[in-house]
Amino acid sequence: MKLVRDLRRQAVRAAVLALVVCAGWAGAAVAFQESPQLKALVDAGKLPPVDKRLPAKPLVLTPLQSVGSYGGTWRTATFGGGDSEIERSIGYTRLVRWNPEWTQVIPDIAESFEVNADATQYTFTLREGTRWSDGEPFSADDLIFWDEHVLRNKEITPSPPAWLTAGGEPVKVEKLGDYKVVFKFKAPNGLFLMNMATIRGADILAASPAHYLKKFHKDFNPEGIAALVKQAGAADWAQLFNNKISFPGRWRDVGRPVLDAWMLTAPYVGTSQVVAERNPYYAKVDTAGNQLPYLDKVTIDVMEDTQAIILKAINGEIDMQNRFIETTDARPVIVQNQEKGGYRLFIARPAWSNALLITLNQTHKNKVLRKVFSDKNFRIGLSHAINREELNQLIYAGQSKPYQAAPREGSALYDEQMATQYLKYDVNLANRYLDKAGLTTRDAEGYRLGPDGRRVTFAIDVLTGSPIQSDALELIQRYWRTVGIDMQPRPTERSLIFARLQTNENDGIGWVGGGGYDFLGLLDPKWYFPHEYESSFATAWGLYYQNPNDPNAEEPSEEAKKQMDLYRKVQQSATLEQQLAAMKELLAITRDQFYIIGTNLEPDRVGIVKKNMRNVPDVIPSTSFYMIPGPVKPETFYYEN
Amino acid sequence: MAGFMIRRLLYMIPMMFVISIVTFIIIQLPPGDFLTALTARLASQNETIDPGVLAGLRERYGLDQPLIVQYWKWISGILLRGDFGQSFDWNKPVSELIWSRLNLTMVVSLVTLIFVWAVAFPIGIYSAVRQYSVGDYIATFFGFLGLAIPSFLLALVLMYFSAHYFGLSIGGLFSPEYMNAAWSWGKLWDLMKHMWIPVIVLGTGATAALIRIMRANLLDELNKPYVDMARARGLSETRLLLKYPVRVALNPFVSTLGWVLPHLVSGAVVVSIVLSLPTTGPLLLSALFAQDMYLAGSIILLMSILTLIGTLISDLLLAWLDPRIRNG
Repeated sequence: MKLVRDLRRQAVRAAVLALVVCAGWAGAAVAFQESPQLKALVDAGKLPPVDKRLPAKPLVLTPLQSVGSYGGTWRTATFGGGDSEIERSIGYTRLVRWNPEWTQVIPDIAESFEVNADATQYTFTLREGTRWSDGEPFSADDLIFWDEHVLRNKEITPSPPAWLTAGGEPVKVEKLGDYKVVFKFKAPNGLFLMNMATIRGADILAASPAHYLKKFHKDFNPEGIAALVKQAGAADWAQLFNNKISFPGRWRDVGRPVLDAWMLTAPYVGTSQVVAERNPYYAKVDTAGNQLPYLDKVTIDVMEDTQAIILKAINGEIDMQNRFIETTDARPVIVQNQEKGGYRLFIARPAWSNALLITLNQTHKNKVLRKVFSDKNFRIGLSHAINREELNQLIYAGQSKPYQAAPREGSALYDEQMATQYLKYDVNLANRYLDKAGLTTRDAEGYRLGPDGRRVTFAIDVLTGSPIQSDALELIQRYWRTVGIDMQPRPTERSLIFARLQTNENDGIGWVGGGGYDFLGLLDPKWYFPHEYESSFATAWGLYYQNPNDPNAEEPSEEAKKQMDLYRKVQQSATLEQQLAAMKELLAITRDQFYIIGTNLEPDRVGIVKKNMRNVPDVIPSTSFYMIPGPVKPETFYYEN
Repeated sequence: MAGFMIRRLLYMIPMMFVISIVTFIIIQLPPGDFLTALTARLASQNETIDPGVLAGLRERYGLDQPLIVQYWKWISGILLRGDFGQSFDWNKPVSELIWSRLNLTMVVSLVTLIFVWAVAFPIGIYSAVRQYSVGDYIATFFGFLGLAIPSFLLALVLMYFSAHYFGLSIGGLFSPEYMNAAWSWGKLWDLMKHMWIPVIVLGTGATAALIRIMRANLLDELNKPYVDMARARGLSETRLLLKYPVRVALNPFVSTLGWVLPHLVSGAVVVSIVLSLPTTGPLLLSALFAQDMYLAGSIILLMSILTLIGTLISDLLLAWLDPRIRNG
């Protein structure tokens, strides 16, 4: 996959391009076609004709391979009560979205968008004639309702999300016309559109259908609200309202108006099946003027066990999915059963930088460990002591390659030196560096002694739920023993790791590393500089970045402070170009500081697609930030007969 | 008998109070709270949660208040209004979540219980009466096998076979086409088709145990003088067997009844998870993992209360069944 061919193209230019495409389209008056299902309803007089349901200039999607035919069901499965699979597969509709290659933000429900020079004003032009799934028109007033009565309502939103605030103030939406709005921030908010393209963006449109939501809003329905709250068994009206608009509650609200390709007909409750059916008012068409989506229906089986999902897949009960079946241990089964399950494979490329990062907390409460961990020579020594090629063979079946915690090859932020420094497996070199770090004396068992004359020993927390990472860590324990360092892998339950992080009680952790793809690095920079307590290589500095008054926060080093300023600069830049330039500067410091020890790249994973399903790419970036499979346009998937 | 009952009921009141406190403490024991667990869950999947949203949730759920306040909020809601609070993870009332799953949980548990008794009872008697016969050895062999196989493994194997050879869909209690349908004969038949796996899986261990217990108890009884005496009086073998020795040997069956009620709620968590059954077991586990304290607390509280009630019932039944207990 060519990852970043034209990443530097500005978002504005993308918008202009979209405009040009649409303008070209509007001239050609083609009659729209619709699915036979809907046609029958129109003929029966139960639904307005397709031309009345679509905008005059609907968004035209170019199918990846070919124009499709109508019909069929897309079957997927999810796990438990709060997984975002449903959001990513059938809820990926926003004002703007990711393009399939994940190199830019493109218009989605909005016809076009513009950003001003200091990233404080975002103007969106909506498509005249776009309708909610119940047939009501969607207009600027809906977005105004969301801003004034949801986001700025203290009862519903006690504290507004950070991505919608800048300069301590939530965004203000102003109406420039029935189909034109401007989002105004008090201070620059350069990552606003990117955030909107992630899972966060769904919250805006979910809380926008004013005609439907007013009934559940105290200000609009003061008399009737109490009865509704009682009927729903909610604690108060704010909770009732929040259940209608936030994840996962909104997926239990059948009949909620949406702008998605499919609308909910069986809710997301417990172990059952979620069903969504074609939205007759979906405002997108293909290049031949067929109203999308092609597929009639989507079903999502809610399972309690991931193994059962894998069984479902090899049994041919899943049509297109990668989540839950892409795990390393499931891979052989998934690959072997292609014939039986009637599917082919696609590559779900992990977007993160590393299969296993090892962090050592440089802000450790224990003075000795802090001193030892803070010495770059110590970290370089440990890095050289890891036999990454052996790890690759034993743990990742040779599918991976040695890599530091750095952006992936082919991305705009890629830095060869950062990705490949200190990778060489060389015990002598490792020992030299550890000696250089001042740990020259050893005890009777050959372990190195710290400055206090005691053995240097520490624990690395790893998730109990990630046996593969535990296995890798046990090998690394052996490698480090050879150079006289005593590291104990400590499989720990998730919440406990986090509770330790919040209070700066961690030695270090072994974790999957984010930031491999550009947008992931921009939006989730915790592995590149001390951004929050999860930046476990310097927890107290991360706490400081979020809140300098936190009892566990500490003043960061000069370099870290410089990085924090650079990241603020990223947030204040209006164009991707400027953002990437600032990020590059930030990463140069990360490279020189060598905060984190990387091991291997995460090997490519595989998802499955039914043999006759078309318009599914062969390679898709895989991370929730990308919202796989949303951006590859499931509304254009179809079955070839 | 009446005095015995009243005494037992009175003991239950302080017991419940203690249980509610212990339950709450247990749920608060793990470090962090629901939001820590939520953040951690997202981070392990390479996701993040917006700090503003997090602060809002903390306030809305009252997680920033002292423990004693949180406990009082929960317990007073239950005592004064019958309100078990709201589940954080589901944003729904706890009672609604539990009730919606209790029906199927009860059906599965009761069918399992009937299956266990129907199988264990005759086989146990047969094994005892025909001790060391071929039949006894076969029953013993399968009994030990049933005890030894981990039930979740059996569940996985059966699930694989039923999918592979009978073409049944994986997991759950219904096929996809009936999953959201209203009740009908077709749906009932579909339930039956799926039900046998959980019933066998949940039942094998208990069946095996009961066969052995029945056999051992009956063997003890059969060698007692009163049996010889009854025989000497010319009672038919069947009647003789069922009238006294089996009645005495029934004790363990009745005492297991006490465990049936809590089982109805927690119903073999691991198996339910493997089979993706829409029962309360998986609900409890996910609530504990998510630190969804009102949901987990309420389920545990309910289970404890049901254990108390179940024990009471089985004690009463035993007293009714066995004069030695009644008058002892």
